[in-house]
Amino acid sequence: MGKKMLEVNNLKTKYVTRFHEDVYAVDDVSLSIEEGKSLGIAGESGCGKSTLALSLMGYYFAPLHYISGDIIVDGKNISGMKPDEVRKTILGNEIAYIPQAAMNALNPTQKIISFLGDVLQAHDIKLSKKDLLDMAAERFEALGLPKEVLQKHAVELSGGMKQRTVIAVSTILNPKVLIADEPSSALDVTSQKMVIKMMRELMEKGYIKSMIFITHELPLLYNVTDDIMVMYAGQIVERGSAKEMVFDPMHPYAKGLMESIIVPEAGTRDVKLKAIPGTPPNLKKPPEGCRFAERCRYAKPACYLIAPQMRDIGGGRMHRCMMGEERMKEVYSHE
Amino acid sequence: MKGYKKYYSRKILWYLLTLIIAVILNFTLPRLMPGNPVANIAAQTAQGMTDATAIQKVYAQYAEAFGVDKPLYQQFFIWLKNLLHGDLGVSFSQYPRPVSEIIASGVWWTVCLQLPAIIVGWFLGNLLGAVAAYIRKGFDKVILPAFLFASNIPAFGMATILLTVFAIQLKWAPTSGGYGFDLIPNFSAAFILSVLDHYKLPFLSIVLVTIGGQAVGMRSMAIYELNADYVKYSRFLGIKDKKIVGYVFRNAMLPQITGLAMSIGTMVGGALVAEIIFSYPGIGSTLLSAITGRDYPLISACTLIITIMVLLANLFVEMIYGLIDPRIKAAQME
Amino acid sequence: MKNTIKQLRHSSQFMVGFVILVAILLLIIIYPIFVTADPLEMVGRGTFFKPGTYVSVVDAVTDGASTQKSYTLNLDTSASRLNARLSMEDREAMVDWLVRFGGVAEGGISTSDDDVPALLELWSEKYDSTNPQKGLIAAKKKYYVRLDKSLKELNNSTDMILAAQGEDGLEQTGTIADDSYVNVKDIANQRTFILGTDNFGRDVLTELVAATKTSIIIGLIAGVVATAIGLFLGLFAGFIGGVVDDFIMFVTNLFTVIPSFVILILISYSVGASARGVTMVAVIIGLTSWPWTTRSVRSQVISLRNRDHVNMSKLSGHSVIRIILVDILPYVASYVVMAFILQISSGILAEAQLSMLGLGPATTTTATLGLMMNWAMTYTAHLNGSWWAYFPVILTIALISFSLNLMNTGLDQVFNPTLRD
Repeated sequence: MGKKMLEVNNLKTKYVTRFHEDVYAVDDVSLSIEEGKSLGIAGESGCGKSTLALSLMGYYFAPLHYISGDIIVDGKNISGMKPDEVRKTILGNEIAYIPQAAMNALNPTQKIISFLGDVLQAHDIKLSKKDLLDMAAERFEALGLPKEVLQKHAVELSGGMKQRTVIAVSTILNPKVLIADEPSSALDVTSQKMVIKMMRELMEKGYIKSMIFITHELPLLYNVTDDIMVMYAGQIVERGSAKEMVFDPMHPYAKGLMESIIVPEAGTRDVKLKAIPGTPPNLKKPPEGCRFAERCRYAKPACYLIAPQMRDIGGGRMHRCMMGEERMKEVYSHE
Repeated sequence: MKGYKKYYSRKILWYLLTLIIAVILNFTLPRLMPGNPVANIAAQTAQGMTDATAIQKVYAQYAEAFGVDKPLYQQFFIWLKNLLHGDLGVSFSQYPRPVSEIIASGVWWTVCLQLPAIIVGWFLGNLLGAVAAYIRKGFDKVILPAFLFASNIPAFGMATILLTVFAIQLKWAPTSGGYGFDLIPNFSAAFILSVLDHYKLPFLSIVLVTIGGQAVGMRSMAIYELNADYVKYSRFLGIKDKKIVGYVFRNAMLPQITGLAMSIGTMVGGALVAEIIFSYPGIGSTLLSAITGRDYPLISACTLIITIMVLLANLFVEMIYGLIDPRIKAAQME
Repeated sequence: MKNTIKQLRHSSQFMVGFVILVAILLLIIIYPIFVTADPLEMVGRGTFFKPGTYVSVVDAVTDGASTQKSYTLNLDTSASRLNARLSMEDREAMVDWLVRFGGVAEGGISTSDDDVPALLELWSEKYDSTNPQKGLIAAKKKYYVRLDKSLKELNNSTDMILAAQGEDGLEQTGTIADDSYVNVKDIANQRTFILGTDNFGRDVLTELVAATKTSIIIGLIAGVVATAIGLFLGLFAGFIGGVVDDFIMFVTNLFTVIPSFVILILISYSVGASARGVTMVAVIIGLTSWPWTTRSVRSQVISLRNRDHVNMSKLSGHSVIRIILVDILPYVASYVVMAFILQISSGILAEAQLSMLGLGPATTTTATLGLMMNWAMTYTAHLNGSWWAYFPVILTIALISFSLNLMNTGLDQVFNPTLRD
């Protein structure tokens, strides 16, 4: 067991819409990640993945609001800290973030080096212009980025280059946890590969100690992360190692998600693709019972009434389904 | 550097072309209309003018200098040649003053009034709009409607209200003119003080109107920018809000500069009419007296000089914009 | 559509603008029903009568003399009469005299209305025309003598005698007591000018209502013309693209930079005063203000041009006109509406500015807001304190423009969610 880099217990957050309605996008989420490990979080659009990414940072501003739960970073509980303290001591140097839309994540009218200077300054790190440039150039080159990028404005960079620059900027302070929200989804295949390669390098070179990788592309997670969590309607429905999750999913939703993946292998053309019917529930008023019951093929009347709890079945495997493991095996084998 | 060169040469060329077209329009538009003013000059000037022989003389002079009886394209080249020599003809209503002299005496009053007023109003408006966007609650609720209302008072309306309140009721400023009527323009202290005294109200009225419009625009621009992805990203990197607000204002300011370039013509038009309220000795008042005096050469010269002023101001704004927005450079590099 | 209206009703900016506009529209519709007089009728002989109710003097005197129509009120009439008739300059002169020659301490008496009785008492006690009054010029001394005499007459509250020309000269026909009053309602001939009269002696309020209506019509015509041209060119440029787009955009850019104000002046002057009716001016304004609409429609169309549903339509072999009407127009409609609203308000403003330069509608049958402003300025209402002749006009222009812009901001917030809070 490695040292726990990030531990989250029963985190609940909500965001408030323009019409003053509460949306409970992260509901009772617990997770932990050890040093040197990476965790993938998968789910459909609108399941609360991105909100979870923002909530994990412990720094809330409208429309996102904290309700309850603990976030422990490297043994330090940050949920009780003052926002400005979180900003100064946690953001960027303990937990770093790579946003979903990296295309517009950089201030268009500022040089990259000047922005890096602002990042360091925000954490009271004072470097001379030359030292800053040397330090940044060294890091950029170590990550395979030309140091000329530093003297450019964001608008002068291509899409893939922008995303890699964002990754390099986010990790400049060697954070303990890196949260990447769909870092490669909007890119073409080549750029996507380079981004993935870069994320691996970050771990290998020790620039980051652990990583949470959020995406809707499951095959990608299988290649990149050690563990996978599947999220549905603001809750975690299953967690396991990458291999287990892809080849032996337990929760009906996780199973459905895996079945809907298109894998380019011989014979796949003949296999019928299965999509999960229906749409996720409205999180303004989440259903009382199991949140997946409406769309679940195996749902029983009880599923609509009782909300299932997370069940730890050992070996790091957990799921949130009323069916026991035995029953699951039986039901799934009939298909 | 190469990108800039390309950008600037293209801009200058484009504005030259615009100027040429504006000059052609200035010449042809009146002549294409059913009531061709040049052909009707004699008929028009005969009305309301007492010294008929003098008018006949002016007209004859004008007809000869501008070749009124020749075909249109020849007239144009004669007119253009005269224009390039600074010869815009002789005024009908202020005979025998040459038009160029009347324009020359008015143009500096207008430039010195409008240029600083629009710049100051633009700057203050943007500052207030940015503050309103940042503070929002409460402040925003009071200030925004106030600005919105102020921006909808026409420039001449603002001028009239200021004149009534400050010049007539409170007697803090003179009611009309550019300097005391008993003074002769020179560089004496008395004259300069008098000019400044007469400058206050027209300046203030243009500034106030400009502030309103700019503040409203800047506020929505800044709110738009505050929702941008880079703001969220910068926050999650631990950058202080103050610094982020700095990014936002810089970025919101840039479209405001383009906005200025696009609306400068409208602003100048409004401000010219405001000049009339104060009988300020600029182009606006000249234009009014030219229209009332049916002084065609003077009207044509006024519209031409207004066009040139607006084009120059636009070119200037675009030049500055190219310098400070890196996006322009990037666009030219591609 | 239903949803949009619901959102608009939640937008306080839109609603405030809408309410102001509806109030103005109701006023211009309802007012003429009750006041049917010709708005340009020259009622007053003279310029700039101040706001108020004007009653016939003959009627008032006749009513006062008849016992049925006059009333006796136990009110002290002399004080307010004195206050109204004793001008501030006279009061200042009196105080000045009293301080210099009457031995009254400086600041001992003021010129306020409350002090008028005390001032008069002091005056009758101290004033003496035989006082040497050192330092006063003869004219000033005579002025004080005249003032003293008129004050004595003012103080003298005796009945007023009415006389008529009879066979043997003047014959007394009746008297009016000092405490006799008439009711304004009894007076047969009266007229209320809520906003006074203008330089031609016309009722400003009636004229203003008519002018507002004309100006809104001008704004509408100008808006329709500008929006039609802008929409057509924008759709054309955006959808066809290529050389057509380049050319249209070149012309559009040209006219955004060349001030439309200048072209407006040139055309308006050239068409001549006789041809410049209300419609003509409105059309000219519309002809010079389309570039903004063209730009915004074009950029919208370009972003729509490659959307899936448009491509589907193209592949299905629908005609260009059908694609534009069915697949593009509904999506740009919101921008067109917003541009149209702004065009109306800028059209009204353009007319006002043009009229102030003397290039407005040359008509003797209708007034516009700009013409009213122009008349007031020409007759220097702003210099002689006749605020009622121009201030309501400015306020009306500002309110119309304000309401339209508020509605536009509200629409913008509904259609562009990023601007929302």
